[in-house]
Amino acid sequence: MHAEAHDHPVRLSSSDDLRRSRLTVFFRLLLAIPHLIWLLLWGLAVFLMAIANWLATLLGGTSPSSLHEFIARYIRYETHVAAYVSLTANPFPGFTGEPGSYPIDVEFAPPAIQNRWKTGFRLILAIPALILNSAMSGGSSGGGGRSGSGGGSVGLLWVSAFLGWWAALFTGRMPEQLRDANLYALRYGAQTGSYLLLITERYPDADPELPPVPGQLRPHPITVSVEEDLRRSRLTVFFRLLLTIPHFVWLTLWSIVALFAAVGSWFVTLFRGTAPDPLHRFLARFLRYSTHVYAYVTLVTNPFPGFTGLEGYPLDVQFAPPERQNRWKTGFRIVLVVPALFLSGGVWGVLLTVAIFGWFTGLFVARMPRDLMRAGAYAFRYTAQVNSYLFLLTDRYPDATPRISE
Amino acid sequence: MSVPLRRALALAAFAVLAVLWVLAATRLWRTKVPSDLKLPHLQASSYFTPAYLRRASSYERFLRIDFVLAQIALIAALVGYALRGERLMRESAAGRVGTGLLLGMLGLAIVWIAQLPFGLAEVWWERRHGVSHQGYLSWAFESFFSLGGEFLFICLTIAIVMGFAGLLGNRWWIAGVPALVGVAVLIAFISPFLVGQVHAARDPALRADARQLARVEGVGHLKVEVEDVHRFTTAPNAEAVGLGPTRRVILWDTLLGGRFPRREVRVVLAHEIGHIAHDHIWRGLAWLVLFGLPVGFLIAMATRGRGGLYEPRAVPLALLAFVVLQLVVSPAQNATTRRMEAEADWSALRATHDPAAARSAFQRLARTSHADPDPPGWWQALTGDHPTIMQRIEMVEAYARRQAAAG
Repeated sequence: MHAEAHDHPVRLSSSDDLRRSRLTVFFRLLLAIPHLIWLLLWGLAVFLMAIANWLATLLGGTSPSSLHEFIARYIRYETHVAAYVSLTANPFPGFTGEPGSYPIDVEFAPPAIQNRWKTGFRLILAIPALILNSAMSGGSSGGGGRSGSGGGSVGLLWVSAFLGWWAALFTGRMPEQLRDANLYALRYGAQTGSYLLLITERYPDADPELPPVPGQLRPHPITVSVEEDLRRSRLTVFFRLLLTIPHFVWLTLWSIVALFAAVGSWFVTLFRGTAPDPLHRFLARFLRYSTHVYAYVTLVTNPFPGFTGLEGYPLDVQFAPPERQNRWKTGFRIVLVVPALFLSGGVWGVLLTVAIFGWFTGLFVARMPRDLMRAGAYAFRYTAQVNSYLFLLTDRYPDATPRISE
Repeated sequence: MSVPLRRALALAAFAVLAVLWVLAATRLWRTKVPSDLKLPHLQASSYFTPAYLRRASSYERFLRIDFVLAQIALIAALVGYALRGERLMRESAAGRVGTGLLLGMLGLAIVWIAQLPFGLAEVWWERRHGVSHQGYLSWAFESFFSLGGEFLFICLTIAIVMGFAGLLGNRWWIAGVPALVGVAVLIAFISPFLVGQVHAARDPALRADARQLARVEGVGHLKVEVEDVHRFTTAPNAEAVGLGPTRRVILWDTLLGGRFPRREVRVVLAHEIGHIAHDHIWRGLAWLVLFGLPVGFLIAMATRGRGGLYEPRAVPLALLAFVVLQLVVSPAQNATTRRMEAEADWSALRATHDPAAARSAFQRLARTSHADPDPPGWWQALTGDHPTIMQRIEMVEAYARRQAAAG
């Protein structure tokens, strides 16, 4: 975790205990209606205040404390509402955005001097963060989008909320990993809103491992290791999609064989209780190769990968040897994997955005932003676990906690 | 075995190969055009107005300058790549062959960048003269994405070459060139399915003409398709593609819909059927073997200093060597294709017995694409894969005289 991240002026905190009331979960969206209306009205006022704040910050170099407080309170309230609707927290939030009043809370540093150039062009500078936020939290902006009123993409937050709704309805608890994935999206959303509305000039940080996400990932047979080489070759960045075409052809051919291998492995695992070693190794190698290829095309890594799926690539997947698998879980694997595939779709939305901005950044500064690279690595870690689950390399369910490694 | 004996054996093998090469080339050089056919020397001004000749000359002058500058930029870019491309090996974690593939693709990428301004200039010129309707961005995107197909092709080529280099060392070309020609055969076989925006010919008259001409030229059943290109260009064109069961004639729609009279379309159709009747695609592939073997050998020699094509770092140099050799060989290669085109012209004249239509078709073909009917010799040698328009008209006149003499 880099030092800068700890002192971001906009920090999310969580004291959520994962318990959920089934009754309020069932009616959650309807219960939130008054909040959504109030959010809309408050948002109109914030729109005007934001213009005033922009002019004041441009002229005075710092956001006036009254405007800062008003807008910060709005962002906090919006986060409370988004947390409530997305089941990231249980209690019905207050209507004032009071600090410390809700289990999921946002802390803001006091107003600080802001660069006038960055202030002047804030709306343009915020566009990449707004788009990434849209991939994380759905909607089309860092503001209304998080509460689901902005329309546009669904986003990681709402896919996770949808899955969490079912889990909470049946068990009375929000799965911890889904809650943590939501926290990641909410933190990024709060930072994006704060950047756009001039609460801070610090750019939002997409690193998934920043607080309040827990410090450790639960042990899992499928792990990912990442070398943080952020250098990118402009030439290969420009032609990245085309350079990957031979890999896509090879991957397609390999996928056909892998599909048959997976079916074979399913039958054997169902009868024997353990995946056959040769098929396990073959499928592991296939999944490792596919991770290398996608990491390359999305610019999460720099070097051109090999065609054999051997270990040693900057973003690599490690697979534990075959272990005993529950026959029920094996038999119904194709059904059981569906929720994880849904969430994987949300994670890939983030990854796609990472790839697009990584392409532009790589082309101009020959570097991949660290936080984008780490957001991509998280997507690959989760996807590798989902695919491993699907291809019977493990019966351990994929872990959506926004962390890269244990 | 002693060194002098080995040298003598190598020399003898080389001599045998050279003799076989010459025999095969002589066989392939032969065409059905009568060897005693004397082409009359005609003046372009007898067939085209002075205004047209001036316009065509000016139009092609720009394209020639653009071509020459593009070739200079190409060689310069590849020289730079051959000298410094090795550095890009650090961008790969793909092992020996994989790194070779990356360097091959990056070489093409650099070539694309170097050629882009010249390509755009050509589009500008063609748009200015109404030959092309394509937008600059559309052209750039199309050329960028078609680079993907080129990347695939070069990957396949390098994988074959480096694979054989792993087995045979610097003698990879002995097996590599035939293997590559095998790939070319496969591509020729599937090429009809790679052409976009194609549909079967719907005009009953066109289909009837195709059936009749195919019968006359001894081809049997033949598919005739139409490619929709009129949105991008006004230039007319046609091609014979495919092998065996996939063979067919594709006509650009810029020839049809009343743009060319039926008699002239018949000539074009008969010309393309002539290519099929005389197995020109197979003969082209045979020429590819004949040119490919010495070119492969010379590339192997050129890359020896970098460890040969076993080593990925030799790939940038191999690309440069290939492009230079191709430029050197192109006059000879073009001469072979011109022979086949002349044979197809002759076949069309014999099938249609309509020299007047052939003459006016060539005149119209020239006018619609602003072609210089009698370009400079160096240009024709370097880029002319068809006889010049005047040479084609001369053949028509020679045929007409023969026809008249025969009564």
